[in-house]
Amino acid sequence: MKQILSTISMVTLLLASTSYAGSVSDKQGLTLDGAKKVIAATVAEAKRVNAPGGSIAVVDDGGNLLALERLDGSFAASANISIGKARTSALFKKPTKVFEDVIKGGRTSMVTLGGDLQNFTPLQGGIPLEWEGKVVGAIGVSGAASAQQDEELAIVGAKALDSMEMAGMVNGHSPLPVTYIENQKVAASFAKGAVLVGEDENMMHASHNYMVHASHRDKPGVVEIHEFDTDIVYVLKGSAQLITGGTPVGTKTIAPHEFRAPTVTGGETRTLVPGDVVIIPNGVPHWFKEVEAPFDYYVVKVR
Amino acid sequence: MIRSMMLAAMTMVLVVGVANAQLIEKTALTLDGAKKIAAAAEAKAKAEGARVVIAVVDDSGNLLLLERLDDTQVASVNVGIDKARTAAIYRRPSKVFEDQVKNGRVSALALHGAVALQGGVPITVNGKVIGAIGVSGETPQQDEDIAVAGAAVAASFAKQ
Repeated sequence: MKQILSTISMVTLLLASTSYAGSVSDKQGLTLDGAKKVIAATVAEAKRVNAPGGSIAVVDDGGNLLALERLDGSFAASANISIGKARTSALFKKPTKVFEDVIKGGRTSMVTLGGDLQNFTPLQGGIPLEWEGKVVGAIGVSGAASAQQDEELAIVGAKALDSMEMAGMVNGHSPLPVTYIENQKVAASFAKGAVLVGEDENMMHASHNYMVHASHRDKPGVVEIHEFDTDIVYVLKGSAQLITGGTPVGTKTIAPHEFRAPTVTGGETRTLVPGDVVIIPNGVPHWFKEVEAPFDYYVVKVR
Repeated sequence: MIRSMMLAAMTMVLVVGVANAQLIEKTALTLDGAKKIAAAAEAKAKAEGARVVIAVVDDSGNLLLLERLDDTQVASVNVGIDKARTAAIYRRPSKVFEDQVKNGRVSALALHGAVALQGGVPITVNGKVIGAIGVSGETPQQDEDIAVAGAAVAASFAKQ
């Protein structure tokens, strides 16, 4: 009896394995975690390029929604449009720009696909998500500054999935190299006041949203207002009178999102000495009005 | 010149005054708030091994955020959004309509934009509905319990 049973199970096993080989196949599916990381990378890029808003949808390979986020201030219809773009891209395994271009090129009859395919959206901004060469889903973006920007954001999101594949999923981007700055260079930077980390166009990168300054002052500064950057200050040497808040007078724009003024009315006054820490949130005017030189302070700018 | 400036200033005052009378202060749900609500619902779903879609909409019923937990039936995406929209635009749990139908008021099925399915719950701050959460994928009661766990987070959004 026991032998029969085992034989039967042997036969069953054999049958199972033969049928498995031909009738079904293994495939990789995108998880919610993966979808969230793709969205996080896209949102970070949207903030970096100051997109006015945007909805970001991630669908699976069947075009069904896995995750969606609508950024504050985005127009409401963008949610559905982003789903449509992602769905269209996944079901055809193509960027949706292909359809927009084909229709623009004169093949207007392409729009009739919308009849059978629910939410067919032949608009630029949908990009397939690939894993090991296979389409596992798609991302759709709507509501950024333009169709072009929608697509650029979607591409960054899609690349985040690639880099997870390469680097083993680290917050949706590949791990950055460790930064080491030896003490002589730090000291030299403080001597003249310099940017330690972040003085390039990518300083506020999605995966690099900070700058570090080795700041040095011999005389008073002007009123500074950073639209996006929060300053975290640690005083090392000297002393200074810091005024925060108040109303700047004669404000000028010196660079995108950076404002300066010669003076301020009102505000709070503090005297900083070595060891003090001050955190100045973005948008708050601040002014080193009087300085007892040399005044050295370490600043981390966080965006 | 001075007179025209004064006129302009007076006009501005008038415009501002009129605008104030014509506008209403609203509390709006942000994406950050929606994320906190979804996170609480997701935590409860995971603790129970529930496979669900969690949808958060604004006060107009438009989608703000959605999550489909791994291995959830895909049909729940639209059902979850529908439940959330129902709770948002009718400012009551979608269960109200399911109960009405169950109790014989079949015409509740004709309500525009509503689904008579338990699992949609309004998100309320200081007594005002600012959005809703819809959950779909498990039993109607479990869906609603998960939605309630999410919506409860909004109590912490009220200004102290």
